[in-house]
Amino acid sequence: MLDRRGFLTAAGAGLGAAFLRARPEHLQASLTRAEEARLAVARGAPPPPLEVFTPEQAADIEAIAAQIVPTDDLPGAREARVVAFIDHSLATWASDRRQAMVDGLAAFNTAAARRYSGVQRFAQLTNDQQLEFLRASDQGPFFQEVRGAVLVGLFSHPANGGNFEKAGYRILGFDDRYIWQPPFGWYDDKANGGPN
Amino acid sequence: MQAPHAGASAPRRAAAARFAPSTLVDFVVVGSGAAGGIVAKELSTRGFTVVVLEQGPRMAPEQFEHDEFRYFFQSALSNDSKTQPQSGNASVGYHRLVGGGSVMFTANYWRLHPIDFDERSRVGAIPGANLADWPIRYADLEPYYTKAEWELGVSGAPGPFDPPRSRPYPLPPLPIKGSGVLFERGARAIGLHPQAAPMCILSRPYQGRNSCQNCGYCGGFGCEHQAKSSTLFTVIPIAEATGRCEVRAGCYARKIETDERGRATGVIYFDAAKVEHLQRAKAVVLCCNGAETPRLLLMSASSRFRDGLANSSGYVGKHLMFNGDVGTTGVYEHEINDWKGPMVTRMNWDFYDSDPARGFYGGGGMDGRYWGYPLLFAFDGLPPGSPSWGAEFKRKLRHNYSRTMNIDCHSTSLPVETNRIELDPQLKDAWGLPAMKVTYRDHPDDLATMRFLAGKALEIHEAAGAVTKWAPPRFEQNGGVHLLGTCRMGNDPATSVVDRFHRTHDVRNLFLCDGSSMVTGGRGQPTATIQALAYRAGEHIARFARRGEI
Repeated sequence: MLDRRGFLTAAGAGLGAAFLRARPEHLQASLTRAEEARLAVARGAPPPPLEVFTPEQAADIEAIAAQIVPTDDLPGAREARVVAFIDHSLATWASDRRQAMVDGLAAFNTAAARRYSGVQRFAQLTNDQQLEFLRASDQGPFFQEVRGAVLVGLFSHPANGGNFEKAGYRILGFDDRYIWQPPFGWYDDKANGGPN
Repeated sequence: MQAPHAGASAPRRAAAARFAPSTLVDFVVVGSGAAGGIVAKELSTRGFTVVVLEQGPRMAPEQFEHDEFRYFFQSALSNDSKTQPQSGNASVGYHRLVGGGSVMFTANYWRLHPIDFDERSRVGAIPGANLADWPIRYADLEPYYTKAEWELGVSGAPGPFDPPRSRPYPLPPLPIKGSGVLFERGARAIGLHPQAAPMCILSRPYQGRNSCQNCGYCGGFGCEHQAKSSTLFTVIPIAEATGRCEVRAGCYARKIETDERGRATGVIYFDAAKVEHLQRAKAVVLCCNGAETPRLLLMSASSRFRDGLANSSGYVGKHLMFNGDVGTTGVYEHEINDWKGPMVTRMNWDFYDSDPARGFYGGGGMDGRYWGYPLLFAFDGLPPGSPSWGAEFKRKLRHNYSRTMNIDCHSTSLPVETNRIELDPQLKDAWGLPAMKVTYRDHPDDLATMRFLAGKALEIHEAAGAVTKWAPPRFEQNGGVHLLGTCRMGNDPATSVVDRFHRTHDVRNLFLCDGSSMVTGGRGQPTATIQALAYRAGEHIARFARRGEI
């Protein structure tokens, strides 16, 4: 009776999902803090300080995230503050993924530095180099885990600390008003009394 | 225990009984979900004292959130792979909270049809399956389907393939949404007979509860408006108002205690602090679901019942049925905005009956429905071959989300002896109890049925004008949330676990009533049947108790 697609998608989300399975005892505290941070931001405060990543690591993760869901006329992963979400997750309920994420990033940067002379880290690559490098490495476990974390940070309920200013919902055209009257869209307009 | 909460049901809860575990109550019911809530209400309103043990928390309506990350990925209100690990080649999902799956399900409310009860007699034996007739017929259950629809509150309208009904639906159908319009259009175009979907959601205010506000969050979520007719907001408050029923949340049952005469004497459980208690009772009713009921019986083995309690047949845990389930997806030209409104508004039963001309056993139904929520869509909603990151990924998410809908196919699962729930010999859960081992392999006829229906669903998408459409690459199921058939009902103690009144053949004062009782799985959407069985079981168990026949 659990919604089957949800159950199976969550179970089958693969490597991305390794990051997503929280330790439940940590979740509530994490959510409370995320809510406090959200309220602080709403009052004009800057994003919360990093807890796990160094500024360099955060820049690399943000560069990867911004390639996964780039910014165009709508916000992307960067504006959704996905890096802050991932950082805080690794500090709390996803702390069992912390080492894997940090080690994975180090290996990822080493590979980037080996391929492109004169750079140490992914964030230092040009946009074209970043795209080229990701196309060659997007099947690896590190990228897949970052991708999963980025999607959660972008598209889950803002109460979890990501999806800043509902950036993910805006991309999808989803409106979280939660109370609606028909017609809902183009096709049910006529059936529900409209002109289409 | 959860603190008493504010909200509409608070005054009723004030009257709820409290029993010490050492108090000998008439019944202990394990599980407060689709079946347990009803059994507790039927027994307590007939004058019996009842303690209901529920492993999950009690939620107030305003505590339900639209947070798929917490509910789907973090198992906030469902069995959790971290604390409740499973082994085997498949996994089962269920909800853990007062009201159980009835709070969180999509709310499809299909009755079985007469053929579901005697199909073995009609189609004969099927190799590789243990198909059997039920010991009851549709006519035996019909009054209880009607009772469930009227007491809980179900919206619907008659259709051409409906089984006979003694009363109309209490409420008219929910308003049609885009996926319903497109499903209806496509189905009619290929000669089928779509109809309004029967849903356990209020289309009008009913019995003091509000109607659906079209929030879009049914499947996997609780309804903050109480418009979904869960046991939490319907029968459980009635049971508590008798002053004879206590619903005890946060209690994880580990064993049914039996005495030297082989009678059940109560249930041993862990409270929320993992402290062990024995709730004494004159009789025990298990309504845990089709996975946890057999597990609890197997964990209740003793020197007298070496293979598990009520398992002289060896049938406990066997014949697990998930129902076939295939989602086909279509992307359309205009905005459907199917993320508003209930998940399903139109369905069809043209292929319900098994047809020998198809060359295999099986049948099912289809419905037009919402694909799913934002995060799940980002993971899995785009057509095969779409990029998984980058500018084009984002563009497709943006374009498709409001234009995507599904036609889902729901179908027969044959009862296969080797599809089963067992205890893992090594793996333990967070309470130190044997973990569940789940084995499941679809019968070839089940796969053929899924393939057949998926083909029809794609024809409907095509006829409805889908720009893009696809079916999943594989139909084999490695998980399920319809948990059926594992303690089947029957007249012969050698080939069934409970009798026609849900009493175990082996233990006179032990009853089982949930999806595990079902002999066949129907064509999907088992909740209406589980609840009709629960009304019927409650009535009969009360009758036995009154006559001193327990």
